[in-house]
Amino acid sequence: MDPILIVALVVGLALFFDFTNGFHDTANSSATAIATGALKPKTAVLIAAIMNFVGAFLSTAVAKAISVSLINEGIDIGPELVFAGLTGAILWNLTTWLLGLPSSSSHALFGGLVGAALAFAGVAAINFPAVLEKVVFPALFAPVIAGLAAFLATRIAYLMTARSQSSRKATGIGTGRSNFKVGQVFTSSLVALSHGTNDAQKTMGVITLVLVAAGLQPTGDHVEWWVIISAATAIAVGTYMGGWRIIKTMGSGLAEIKPAQGLAAEVATASTILASSNLGFALSTTQVASGGVMGAGLGRKGGAVRWNKAGQVVTGWLFTLPAAGAVGALSAFLVMSGPFGIIADLILVVSVSIAIFQISRRNRINHSNVLSEVEGASEVIASPRQVRKAAAEAKKKASKKVTAKKAPKKSAATKSKGGK
Amino acid sequence: MINWNSLILVAIVAIGSSVGLVTVFSLGMRLLTNAQNINQHTKKKDGVKVSEAINRIGAYLMFTICGSAVLYGIYLIVPYFHLDK
Repeated sequence: MDPILIVALVVGLALFFDFTNGFHDTANSSATAIATGALKPKTAVLIAAIMNFVGAFLSTAVAKAISVSLINEGIDIGPELVFAGLTGAILWNLTTWLLGLPSSSSHALFGGLVGAALAFAGVAAINFPAVLEKVVFPALFAPVIAGLAAFLATRIAYLMTARSQSSRKATGIGTGRSNFKVGQVFTSSLVALSHGTNDAQKTMGVITLVLVAAGLQPTGDHVEWWVIISAATAIAVGTYMGGWRIIKTMGSGLAEIKPAQGLAAEVATASTILASSNLGFALSTTQVASGGVMGAGLGRKGGAVRWNKAGQVVTGWLFTLPAAGAVGALSAFLVMSGPFGIIADLILVVSVSIAIFQISRRNRINHSNVLSEVEGASEVIASPRQVRKAAAEAKKKASKKVTAKKAPKKSAATKSKGGK
Repeated sequence: MINWNSLILVAIVAIGSSVGLVTVFSLGMRLLTNAQNINQHTKKKDGVKVSEAINRIGAYLMFTICGSAVLYGIYLIVPYFHLDK
């Protein structure tokens, strides 16, 4: 097969993976902000998308794919291997999205590449200590660290605002704790920004790797501008589309989250990601965010984690590497059979993706119904000003209806009156 | 094989900074609430005004600390600022 053609296919597939990565991980930064009502669903994903886009440009350091170190030196990571690995990662991301499971996109990518390398070169291709060190152990510790941080932070937040809360109740003025929502806007943005710098880099690394392998770029020490722009765009579009099923799981499925908890969870997520990426310990953004939500859920008195759902999520994490690896390996066998294998594989991936999207339409979850059960809870914690505003709006609507019935042509005049 | 030192370091830094930040933010919120309560529920005398101002200034100081922490986070994210590490 024409090498340029296969490189083009891999780049396209890598950008599609980037897209699924974006919409899979929207939940990490926006779920708790949506759940507490700090941000409206559409606003939250828009902010996350912009932050992801900006984040992708911020880091101009070389996008080194960690996946390379999982595969032993001497194994030729050509476009075909990356092609097979990407299919595993994409299909796993789409499957977990359909099930509403927050799973790590990085692990899916590692799994796919490791599986493909196994199929290409056998067991000797895999650097098992590196797999343990970079994937398995971090997966065990990420949720624990973030969970503990969020748990303690939630406790502190409730402790610190305890008296002011009771005094406010006595005076009959709204509840002070809903002010935590203001802080949430900033923390969720920071989480999205750090996600953008991390995850867009992954796709840039994969594309650069393939360009170098195909001899279209001399060395891997710079990233082409079109790679940066297209990776940033793909992840931002994916983020804006929003994996609403996963947002629902993280925002309301794992635990019921109130503003103080939401802030604690997001601060814990942001600081854990920042600490690990600066101190050289690779943690998955998704696992950190899920752990933060669970810790915050436990931290509030009367709050509870839905262990049933949490168990499902953790099971998903355990299966990420082997499942994406299995698809990657199968895909690699197809690819190895020649050009027809590659085309067959591509058709297979596209048709399975379309099938998953079709299945998802049976019970659509989007910005309008994502957290319908949580909306009831957020009404209780609404500030009096919001309640008054809502009441005034309802009144306005009712009066408009009446005037519209009486004199439909004068509606312009009443509008300007109402505008005063 | 597993780098326990960096794991423990990550855990300490992550837990410490989240607890610290949330403490400061909550303190700021509480001071702000105090200031509002003083403003609305006590008669305006000079001493009251001063204590309201102290609470309010304290609150803004706390929020400033939180804001700088967020800026520091952005500084950490952008490698351009510390390339010569």
